[in-house]
Amino acid sequence: MLQLYRALLFLYPHRYRREFGEEMTFVFCETRRSLSTTLCGRVSFCVREIMGLLAGAFCERVHALTLSGESNSIRRLNMRRFPTSTITLMIVILAGVALTIENAHTVQVKYEPSAVSVWGTMPGFFTVGFGLVFAIAAAVWSILFALRRSGMHRLDNVQTWPDQR
Amino acid sequence: MPSSPLTEPVFLVLLSLAEQPRHGYSILKDVEGMSAGRVVLSTGTLYGALQRLLRQGWIERFHEDESSRDRRAYRLTSRGRKNLQSEIERMRHLSRLASLRVARKEA
Repeated sequence: MLQLYRALLFLYPHRYRREFGEEMTFVFCETRRSLSTTLCGRVSFCVREIMGLLAGAFCERVHALTLSGESNSIRRLNMRRFPTSTITLMIVILAGVALTIENAHTVQVKYEPSAVSVWGTMPGFFTVGFGLVFAIAAAVWSILFALRRSGMHRLDNVQTWPDQR
Repeated sequence: MPSSPLTEPVFLVLLSLAEQPRHGYSILKDVEGMSAGRVVLSTGTLYGALQRLLRQGWIERFHEDESSRDRRAYRLTSRGRKNLQSEIERMRHLSRLASLRVARKEA
């Protein structure tokens, strides 16, 4: 049971686990030691602990995903390289759109082959659109990165009025 | 002032810490005792509640120096105590109101 408990603790975010993991395990062991010997008591204890861990891990994960706006802005300022996850996500979305168009085209050909088809131009249109959005995003990111590198954001800290001595 | 009513486990955890600082296991047992075995917290639920209360600044964590295991204990902050008192006041008001209404209906 302790092994299972430790394994379930891995569902929590790393930071939470580092802070509370040992303590939770210790309390779990203490509680288990003081448990009644009846089968019913032991089963209800196990179920309660597992459900508690699952619910707790879910809440902590949701909280980690929806961090406060302040933390997010700090994260954004700390960016050092182009976010590759964004590119991956965009490619996945583009692939999904292309696949949907292809499926829709197949359906149209099957049920109404005589209709004028616009599907042939769609993949090209979306590819060009995707390319444009990507180029704009890369340009914006480059500008932000250059500003950050040149220390423009530190202008806020510049003393505009000298101290009167 | 708490924006919404506290849940029963959170209320009992705060009540447990109102008396004296406690560590996790002690809170667990105290909550069980206070509710006469009706509220039995799992460690996941307890530490979820403690984490939220720490985040809100209602409780704080400190090292128990005298403990050989270097366990950490929890205690109420002044903010937490104030919020607990507000919650008790809210419950007292509700209870008074309920008693009045029920008595009026019976009369």
